[in-house]
Amino acid sequence: MKKLTYKEKFQQMNREAAATCIITAILIAFWWYGAFGIDRSLTFLSMPLWFFISCVGTYLLAIIFVWLITKFVFIDFDLDDDENKEKLKEYYK
Amino acid sequence: MKFDILLPSALFFLVLLLIGFYLKQREKNKRGKNFSKEYYIGGRSLNGFVLAMSLVATYGSVSSFVGGPGVAWQLGFAWVLFASVQVVAAYLILGILGKKMAVVARQIDAITIIDLIRFRYKSNFCANLCALVLLVFFITQMIAQFIGGAHIFAAVTGMDYAAGLLFFAAIVVLYTAIGGFNTVAITDTLCAIMMLAGMFLLAYAILHDGGGITNIMHTITNASAQGKIDLLSPTASNHVSIPLLMSQWILCGIGTIGLPQSAVRCISYKDTKSVHRAMIIGTIVCGAMMIGMPLLGILGRGVITAPLSQIGSTDNIIPLLIAQHMNPWLAGITIIGPLAATMSTISSLLIAGSSAVVKDIYLYYKRNEPVAKNQKTVARLGIAVTTFMGIATVLLAIKPPDIIVWINLFAFGGLETAFFWILIMGLFWKRANSTGAIASIIGGLLAYCTSTALGFHISTCHNIVIGIGSAAICFIIGSYIGKTPFAPEVKAVFFPEKN
Repeated sequence: MKKLTYKEKFQQMNREAAATCIITAILIAFWWYGAFGIDRSLTFLSMPLWFFISCVGTYLLAIIFVWLITKFVFIDFDLDDDENKEKLKEYYK
Repeated sequence: MKFDILLPSALFFLVLLLIGFYLKQREKNKRGKNFSKEYYIGGRSLNGFVLAMSLVATYGSVSSFVGGPGVAWQLGFAWVLFASVQVVAAYLILGILGKKMAVVARQIDAITIIDLIRFRYKSNFCANLCALVLLVFFITQMIAQFIGGAHIFAAVTGMDYAAGLLFFAAIVVLYTAIGGFNTVAITDTLCAIMMLAGMFLLAYAILHDGGGITNIMHTITNASAQGKIDLLSPTASNHVSIPLLMSQWILCGIGTIGLPQSAVRCISYKDTKSVHRAMIIGTIVCGAMMIGMPLLGILGRGVITAPLSQIGSTDNIIPLLIAQHMNPWLAGITIIGPLAATMSTISSLLIAGSSAVVKDIYLYYKRNEPVAKNQKTVARLGIAVTTFMGIATVLLAIKPPDIIVWINLFAFGGLETAFFWILIMGLFWKRANSTGAIASIIGGLLAYCTSTALGFHISTCHNIVIGIGSAAICFIIGSYIGKTPFAPEVKAVFFPEKN
């Protein structure tokens, strides 16, 4: 658990959201290539190869990507922030 | 009626009820202190596994378990491709909104999504409008789920439709009303496990009866060569067009961020570890289900070879597979899968719908009265509203009025259109204000619903493109026109990093 200020938490969360968007964009591109960029006559386990690459491939890639970002981009911090909550009280006076 | 098929689901129902009663008893003390926080978000205590499973179970509905696979049986692998975009549905909402909503909700003690919206946009009209949209679409979706669940229950057990409906609906309403959010989350988790179990049992039955994958694919290739639809192509001979596939990424992929029943889970988990773990587990489970079920539908073509005219509707495919190709005991366990998909969706909609009435409308307007501070009164009211809402939807599902079926066509896309930008812009765009938010709900919904009702389409795209697109335009224009002063407490809570 890392100690971050309220402001730093938000900078960190913006980075995490951006990482999530980036892996999604790559997944969409990969899915598209798998579905339409592969010779349709090829098969794997008697099923169409494009199906394996676009559906199963995107699925496995999604798991790997999510694992990577949660390990290397996402950070553990305290979701509560009492300091900022104290400051907020001023606005309600 | 077939009792051996009925027995496993009856046992499963009993377990769900016991969980409801047990958790109610365990939470007694906490509920006495702050009923709403305990009953509507489970005191922010979900761990990673339960968060993931309940998110997926809520998202996976009767259509992912019965409707979708039936269509896959008819259209082939293109429908699996169509459904596969949902692999992002679990991690995307948690990764983009998950932590920010959790942090902000803790700052302002928000218990519902509407609480957050009311604070962020400083507009009661905007918050109430959101609550209204949520209620209308939740209720029609619940009715649709009840209808779907009761049909499959009736088809497999031979029970009468109305009797089957009352039987399983009574259970889901009862445990949701008594147990509250924690029960919903735990039962959702059990439901997700039963959905996976049902899926694997069905896969075994299909592969066994079809004589192995090579044989099944041989049958499918032959059927494909004889029929008008190329079952092996990614577009099913243009039945699933490329624009439709791309817009599916918005409807069932990216747009799912805007579903309030999923978003509420972002404010109810325990800590950052939970959400990281949930992103991984959720993606594994969600992808397995959303790709696995339609794949079983198409493989079912190797077992059910009769033409569609004899089967009646593609919705009958999964019930037929279960009833005719499995022994009664296994069929009894497998049928829990689609029922669990239905129940887990209904319970989440029901508890979130109840929170909109009690917390967002009633308690908000009575906030300065002593009655609202009395936790016993709030408890009675909360449970009563949940029960009443449940009973009303069940009664409507017995003989559904046409208007409900009609509104339900707009429900899924409508919720996304209304909430997608409100949540995203609210959390990431400082400039966003209530004028933009209100314009986006009204403009987006109007564009989405009228274009759908009139059958207007851009190319062959799903109308969600029109909905989300016009909601975005209305939001931006509204935000620049509206001169709502940016309240300092909103900046302090939502945008500490911006100047």
